Amino acid sequence: MRITSARISQLFFLALFLFLFVITDYRGKDEITVAVNSFFRANPLVLASYVFAVKGFTLLLLPALLMTVFTLVLGRFFCGWICPLGTLIDLVTGWIPKTAPIRFLRGSFKYYLLFTLLVMAIFSVNVSGIFDPIAILIRALTFFFYPLLGHSTRAGWSGLYGLAGEGRDHVAFIYDFLRDYILPFRETFYPLAFLSLAIFLFVFVLERFEKRNWCRNLCPLGTLLGLLGRFSLFRRVPGRICKDCGECRQHCATAFDEEVLQTEGCIRCMQCRAKCRLERVGFPFKGKKGLLPATRPQEQPVMSKRILLGSVVAGFFLSKTFAFRNPERDHRLLRPPGVANEGDFLKKCVRCGECMKVCLRSALYPDLARAGITGMFMPVVIPRLGYCEYNCTLCGQVCPTGAIPRLPVEEKKKQVIGTAAIDKNICLPYAKKLNCIVCEEHCPIPDKAIRFETVNDIDYQGKKVTLKRPYIVDDLCNGCGICENKCPLEGRSAVEVFARKKT
Amino acid sequence: MRRRDFLKVTLSSLVASQLPARVFAQTQGPTVAVAEGIDYAAITRKVIGAMGGMKIFVKPGNTVVVKPNMGWDRKPEYAANTHPVVVKTIVEEVLAAGARKVKVFDNTCNDPRRCYENSGIQAILKGMKNVDVRLVENDRFKKTAINGRFLKEWSLYNDALAADVFINVPIAKHHGLTGLTMGLKNMMGIMGDNRGYIHRSIEDALCDISSVVKSHLVIVDATRILTAHGPQGGNLKDVKVLNTVIASRDIVAIDAYTTTLFGMKPEDVSTTVTAYKRGMGEMNLNKIKVVKV
Repeated sequence: MRITSARISQLFFLALFLFLFVITDYRGKDEITVAVNSFFRANPLVLASYVFAVKGFTLLLLPALLMTVFTLVLGRFFCGWICPLGTLIDLVTGWIPKTAPIRFLRGSFKYYLLFTLLVMAIFSVNVSGIFDPIAILIRALTFFFYPLLGHSTRAGWSGLYGLAGEGRDHVAFIYDFLRDYILPFRETFYPLAFLSLAIFLFVFVLERFEKRNWCRNLCPLGTLLGLLGRFSLFRRVPGRICKDCGECRQHCATAFDEEVLQTEGCIRCMQCRAKCRLERVGFPFKGKKGLLPATRPQEQPVMSKRILLGSVVAGFFLSKTFAFRNPERDHRLLRPPGVANEGDFLKKCVRCGECMKVCLRSALYPDLARAGITGMFMPVVIPRLGYCEYNCTLCGQVCPTGAIPRLPVEEKKKQVIGTAAIDKNICLPYAKKLNCIVCEEHCPIPDKAIRFETVNDIDYQGKKVTLKRPYIVDDLCNGCGICENKCPLEGRSAVEVFARKKT
Repeated sequence: MRRRDFLKVTLSSLVASQLPARVFAQTQGPTVAVAEGIDYAAITRKVIGAMGGMKIFVKPGNTVVVKPNMGWDRKPEYAANTHPVVVKTIVEEVLAAGARKVKVFDNTCNDPRRCYENSGIQAILKGMKNVDVRLVENDRFKKTAINGRFLKEWSLYNDALAADVFINVPIAKHHGLTGLTMGLKNMMGIMGDNRGYIHRSIEDALCDISSVVKSHLVIVDATRILTAHGPQGGNLKDVKVLNTVIASRDIVAIDAYTTTLFGMKPEDVSTTVTAYKRGMGEMNLNKIKVVKV
């Protein structure tokens, strides 16, 4: 069997993807030079949603613009050469027995999906990240597989001690390597791990019905690339199934449902060329003629007015249907440092999970409904689990769209996540007349946003005590949450961070 | 005559060799050695020398813990962590005394990776043979019976429990709750679990810990001290450069002496007072022998 360049490229990019995923972490340097966000910055779906939602452009997404141009020239090659999710599907699809394709999906559903997402973006609700294939993959990795790998390796290593005792030291170098270079530093478990996994597995369940089912019938990125690919300067010849052979039907995963090649479906994997016994298949340069989309009537598809209109209506209603926000949850809606405006964040956030992957103290978690269902998978700070490290700027560095702005460390320190408030009903010096001020000790603001007053009092045993009672200086507090995190009260913290209106 | 001479000589030499030591011990309290200078390695060596040299503490083949304060994500100049040069010099002396292994660690307050990195301690010790600078691992904490006045049981770091020699290397800093943090307070770095809990009775808790894990030698880094907004500071205005290193066997005496560098009295620091009352060392300055070298 011949290995095509596309296959090699797929494996290369999958390896690159996994490598970038693992190094998207603190490695002793304040700056991260390359991270897995590269895959989003070169992602035309992210670009389109961003441009529609923000009504502007960011240089961060320049690679996506280049990818768009490449796709215009080369066709939908991303899916067959680069997409790591597509590669994973190709790797396992051979083991999944197929039934018949789902008819419903064969229609125009993917266009409705893509255009509805884009229309929602125009109405400032950018949810396309929920369906972005790379984001689906990263979320499943970050929230489910990576913590699982860390946990099972660590537990296994501990368990090995029980079995092998000191003999375990003979293989310690393997564990040390894994711990230092591969495993997550901290054992963190995420909410929405199950949902992220379910969405990821859904893509593979779809493989039960036909090859690359997700890619050809649902994936909004693939659909968008297919539309761009119609203008490609290279076209696969012959343009239809040869009467004397017809084997392409088996080899082609995405584009030969009919007699005629569906241009939008061709992912340039070139399996047909590699496997053609008669060596008829080629992808010649078409020159100027290629600039015009194929308009032959029998050739699909189907960018009809009906789809467009339906999507506009659906997008408009959907963008407002889920706008409800529970005010009770709003006051704990703590966004990563530098996010000044919730509306702006909703326009830009890709929900890729990278900020949560990189977060040094595991302060960021994917949210389900704090900001309404449209805020699903967007990051929130949960200070009781992890606080925002004062000198760290990593989340802003890996955010592919600048939804979390990349800021110099001095600027970042001034960004307000929220404001801490003390609950005197449970705070020890107030409620129990015991000294504590662990919060004051940990407050990283040089002039201390938590201070204390010293008062003489008589405790509940009748003894004289000198108490140090903490209070918050609102103007200095940046809401990093270390006080809430370190408060030694068990269960609820006596000092909590609440969102505040940012000016 | 000869026999008498012989007896005289024997007796007088016996007296000379034995008595002064006993008298010395009775009348004189603990020794605190102080050195000043801009060469931090040199002054650290000087105070170790004044204590009789590292060989008195470390025997060949010993496993030694050198426990700096590197609890905060701050650069050395901010005086939140022990100066890396001081730590390195001590580690070198320990190795020169024949130690088999030196372990340097701290259970940090900020992210451990950033603390180890930005304190400069991890970098300066990198590549030294038989020196283990490892992040604290949860598996290595061991529930330990303490049976103290406040703490009955707590998770302590096994490396500290198992060490032959424990050298406590704090930096002298301001601290909101206890006034100052020095030798006694630095022992929090071997504690696991929810150690903020001990703040409600921190004096007794710290004495309880120091009763279980004794510091054989305490070397206080006062090359620069943090005079306000401790224990992590963050503002260079709060930092005072003193170019001083202090050493003692007596954890209370060294804390008491170090307090004077801040213009305070030993009585001002509650941990020192409690430790003195519990008989863990001397805090009266006039009973402490200060040796300036």
